[in-house]
Amino acid sequence: MTDTKTTPVTPAPTTRGVLPLPTAAARPLLLAGGIATAASAFLAWTWTAEFPGDLTINGYPGGLQWLTVVAGILTVLFTLASYDIRGLGWLLPARNTAPLVLTALGAFATTWFTIIAISVELGGLANLEPGGWIAAIAAALPLLGALALPQENTGNAKETFKASIAKAEKIPAPAAVSPWIERLVITVVTAIGLGVFTYGIDTEYGELFVGYLITVVFAMWALHTAGLLDRFSRLVAHNRSFTLAMGFVAAIAFPFTQTDDHYANIGVNILIFGTVALGLNIVVGLAGLLDLGYVAFLGVGAYTAALVSGSEFSRFSGVQFPFWASALTGAAASLIFGVLIGAPTLRLRGDYLAIVTLGFGEIFRIAVNNMDGDSGPDITNGPNGIPSIPDLNFLGFNFGQSHDIGGFTLGRFANYYLLMVLIMAIVVLVYTRAADSRIGRSWIAIREDETAATAMGINGFRVKLIAFALGAALAGLAGTVSAHVTYSVVPTPYQFAGSTPPNSAFLLAAVVLGGMGTVAGPLLGAALLYLLPEKLVFLQDKSLLAFGIALILLMRFRPEGVIANRRQQLEFHETGQLDVPEQRIDDTDDTAVSVTKAGA
Amino acid sequence: MNTLPQQLANGLLLGSMYGLIAIGYTMVYGIVQLINFAHGEIFMTGAFGALTVYFYILPDGTPMAVAVPLMLIGGGIVAILIAVGAERFAYRPLRGAPRLAPLITAIGLSLALQEVVRNFYPGADRARAFPGLDATHDLGSITIKDADIFLIVSAVVCMAALAYFVRKSRTGRAMQATAQDPDTAQLMGIDTNRIIVIAFAIGGFFAAVAAVAYGLKYGNVDYRMGFLMGLKAFTAAVLGGIGNIYGAMLGGLVLGIAETLASAYIDEIPGMQQLGGQSWANVWAFCLLIIVLLVRPQGLLGERVADRA
Amino acid sequence: MRQRSLVILTSVLTTGALTLTACGSRDDKGGDSNNSGGSTTTLTIGVDAPLSGENSTTGLGIQYGAQIAVDDANKKKLVPGVTFKLKAYDDKAQPATGQSNATAITGDKTAVGAVGPLNSGVAQTMQQVFASANMVQISPSNTAPELTQGKNWQTDKKRPFKTYFRTATTDELQGSFAADYAYNGLKKKTAFVVDDKQTYGAGLAKIFNEKYKEFGGKVVGTDHVNTGDKDFGSLVTKIKNSGADLLYYGGQYDESSLITKQLKDAGVNIPLFGGDGMFASTYIETAGKAAEGDLATAIGVPADTLPAAKQFIETYKAKGYKGDYGAYGAYSYDAATAIINAVKAVADANGGKVPTDINDLRSKVVDAVQKSDFEGISGKVSFDEYGDTTNKQLTVYQVEKGEWKAVKTGTAK
Repeated sequence: MTDTKTTPVTPAPTTRGVLPLPTAAARPLLLAGGIATAASAFLAWTWTAEFPGDLTINGYPGGLQWLTVVAGILTVLFTLASYDIRGLGWLLPARNTAPLVLTALGAFATTWFTIIAISVELGGLANLEPGGWIAAIAAALPLLGALALPQENTGNAKETFKASIAKAEKIPAPAAVSPWIERLVITVVTAIGLGVFTYGIDTEYGELFVGYLITVVFAMWALHTAGLLDRFSRLVAHNRSFTLAMGFVAAIAFPFTQTDDHYANIGVNILIFGTVALGLNIVVGLAGLLDLGYVAFLGVGAYTAALVSGSEFSRFSGVQFPFWASALTGAAASLIFGVLIGAPTLRLRGDYLAIVTLGFGEIFRIAVNNMDGDSGPDITNGPNGIPSIPDLNFLGFNFGQSHDIGGFTLGRFANYYLLMVLIMAIVVLVYTRAADSRIGRSWIAIREDETAATAMGINGFRVKLIAFALGAALAGLAGTVSAHVTYSVVPTPYQFAGSTPPNSAFLLAAVVLGGMGTVAGPLLGAALLYLLPEKLVFLQDKSLLAFGIALILLMRFRPEGVIANRRQQLEFHETGQLDVPEQRIDDTDDTAVSVTKAGA
Repeated sequence: MNTLPQQLANGLLLGSMYGLIAIGYTMVYGIVQLINFAHGEIFMTGAFGALTVYFYILPDGTPMAVAVPLMLIGGGIVAILIAVGAERFAYRPLRGAPRLAPLITAIGLSLALQEVVRNFYPGADRARAFPGLDATHDLGSITIKDADIFLIVSAVVCMAALAYFVRKSRTGRAMQATAQDPDTAQLMGIDTNRIIVIAFAIGGFFAAVAAVAYGLKYGNVDYRMGFLMGLKAFTAAVLGGIGNIYGAMLGGLVLGIAETLASAYIDEIPGMQQLGGQSWANVWAFCLLIIVLLVRPQGLLGERVADRA
Repeated sequence: MRQRSLVILTSVLTTGALTLTACGSRDDKGGDSNNSGGSTTTLTIGVDAPLSGENSTTGLGIQYGAQIAVDDANKKKLVPGVTFKLKAYDDKAQPATGQSNATAITGDKTAVGAVGPLNSGVAQTMQQVFASANMVQISPSNTAPELTQGKNWQTDKKRPFKTYFRTATTDELQGSFAADYAYNGLKKKTAFVVDDKQTYGAGLAKIFNEKYKEFGGKVVGTDHVNTGDKDFGSLVTKIKNSGADLLYYGGQYDESSLITKQLKDAGVNIPLFGGDGMFASTYIETAGKAAEGDLATAIGVPADTLPAAKQFIETYKAKGYKGDYGAYGAYSYDAATAIINAVKAVADANGGKVPTDINDLRSKVVDAVQKSDFEGISGKVSFDEYGDTTNKQLTVYQVEKGEWKAVKTGTAK
């Protein structure tokens, strides 16, 4: 969604592509290559089942080969669309070639990644069956074709290549369709989204996950350059509440697609992490306050819930609150901490606030680690934490046991997952309502220019304190569930930086990486940051190294986050929503109609 | 036995180390308003650079008087290369990006540097022994060793050289100008990119000096040594007033002494017995920071209030 | 035309869905053919430890310790018709990650048991998961008494989870053995007690403190440090001023090697005494001459008196495994071997074949582990009614000329 990548339109005559091939051969090559790539996945690529996924069977693709199939089919689809095959026109509204190049690149990258992974892991190219070689060659074909597509030549190979993957200049607006069709499209996209996301979580080995990431990134990039993402976000903007509802339906559907409670466990951890990231987004994304000790509020919530959970290790072991009460207590305790920390320090500006919050985060961790009656008051049981936290029980529904619902078995973690979906719904609601309100506008005003906002009569301190307290309370709420999910609370996760979420640095990274000030951004960022270290385990002791490099690269190529917040949009066009993705208001009406008719 | 002089000396030593590292934070911040959270890791690589010189380049049995300066050079080169490389390849492309993007880059860089050392430096997956300067001297009620003297002397020399450089040299003055107003400085013909690189390089070299002192004093180095030291040094830089080089050193000294005294004496205060000791020392250090910032929001020697939210 | 595109969209979606389901079913089939094809059953043993980042040196020792056990069993064909496979999970010393690994292990339909984790805090989140799945979990390193003996372990022992075992002794035994040796063996009458505020270190130091006083010693001061601390100047000055004869440290070698060096640099020549967490060659390498005379307790009899243990160390070194086997590698080997032997016992009782129902196998393995009784490389391996090792042999080691030398072997009282 970057505008920076688009190059100015010059009516320069389109010359030959990056590769000096006859342009007439380009598209057939692309088409044939795409089909060949998809087909090559049906061959045996290697001789031994030792490479995960068992790629040894002719006629039956496995694991990574499926990704090659999908990437190949996508290439074919886009190529066919560029041939003006009827019914596929919607894939390429702008008739640009960038999606072709990108899908071809995706197919190439996915296949070659697999081939290289086989050679590296099994120790040598000798481990490739002829099928593997065929796949490698087949996957290179569409790329050659794509690079030979007619393309304006700037004389500089790098620039030309950049231009060939640039987003379409003008995306014609779609023809108006009935709201029901719009909703149907949203439903279908949500279903596909759920499918894609579930596949990502369920990838059983890291190679598959990396391949999956490659395929998804290139596919999304292609859709983006084709202008389909813009179109979709416009649909979303028309049907906000419907999309939100569909999103939650998809989230609720997730555990029903799982047979193994392990993935529900990952799901619940992602949701907890994502919810806290969303709370932090109020503080960082909306109010612009850099908080480096945010994980402490999660800790306050978790410890509060643990203390009143009735665990025999709790200081107040006789006390057992029902969950609604402990959730409220946890949120309230976090809120109080938020106010206590915020009140004296929010008068500080910018980076001074950052270091003070970092300090408070550390104070929290050290304090709970020491308050065991030996080197501090006897409250938190020190480094041993508070284990044996009982499972929740709602009106006879025991969260700790498996339940059969409509033929599906929901395990323990699926139960908690559904509870977390509920909590996240509340948080999303609070977030969107708050961001939309008077106070939300004040936050943004403060974030953009505190002095000017104050001059306009906004009580900067007050609204900042509200942001701080609200963010804290939401994190505390998530903390109360996390205490029950993990059966125990210990001080170690609540640190400034560590190798695995949640910690303050990771929370901040989730917000920044996903996109500050949006709802979907931090959730996506949280999912990514949780899954990356988890799925990179196959790199063994190099996994953290890979993760660090991934962070640097992500920021290098997408510093505004995966889902960027259109601040200008918000300021100048009064859409009233925070996470409306990029729109081109100016060209919706005049140019749109004619072109779309042609396109449809 | 009165332990106060010894404890003050302990704090002073620890503080000089914080101060040396804090210089790197403060100089970079003063010029580009960037919290280089990976600076702690630059400190760590400096230590491994020096270690490489000692174990893999110098012949066995090189006298320490010869080895230490060479280790300083080796560590300095490594730290400067990494600091400048980080600036060039990780931070510079992000200069126009949202303000928090470099922070995430820094976190990634920090992880990556730690892991590179742990994975690829021989034996670095655990602590590695570092040559020491262990001869001790009794000065009244204070015992210090040669490494401590090295630390104090190098801190003083470095600070004096830096003060001279910033005030007197052409580059130093250009640096001041860039810190005050980068745009105007550029209009005046100052190559701000060069100034930024120099700020990173000086920060890297000071971190390497601190790293050699660290190795000589504690006798071993490991790939995680930069994390806590970096955090403390950053705290020190803020305490002293971020952007001010004298503030960084002062902040370091105050923080080091506060931590040591808190660890030594808090538990002697009636009613605070359980809240003393080394495990609480960081809490008191951070409390001190918060109190100072509440009273003086710009830090001890900070001059202007940074108007950047 | 709109309709047409929707048809295509739907077909893409269906293809996608089919893809997913096809993928799933194929993988299952793959597993089956594996099992029947070679007429051997593959059973997985999960190992969970921090394999990256902090603590990973020790964690890798646990992983490869178990790996060697599995390799040995496969080489010797200990259980005919069964090939064991080790699957390593990285918990990064984080409780939530450990729990997620536990659900991954219990969700693996070939897994019979798990070795790990390293940290007691992680164990707390895993125990219940394994108990629900009725799968055996043996930790080579957890020492907190609560894990096996319940909250009121001092007064009223009660086992919380019957699937949890450990080959490490509790802090209680080690702490009192150390206190006994410090007071009666070394004749040190005053001690300064420091711990690192971690479950292991704080627990150990607390028990040493109590027992040492019971023996008649005087604890002249206590302090707590944080893991990751490097400067102990203030602490050293305190110890110097206290005039203690001995420093007892509960924690890992990372901090204790720094403390002993700084202590001796300050001219305080008293020995540092610690637990098995610092019984590693790294301690001596990093502390250098300062380590001379320092002591550590460790479980079992000295490794060089058992040929199997020597063999283990040689294998570990020969394979070039990363990590440090010194701390918990041998216990990890024994933990994995205990699971393997249990599978063998179950198979023997079942007419030489392992039960095909994995749940049945898992619960039988739990019972068989409870009855374990064999000579491991850290000594005799068997478990009492709480799941604790009955190996109460402890050895005190002292650094002599740059090496750990056993000075006293005995049984904890």
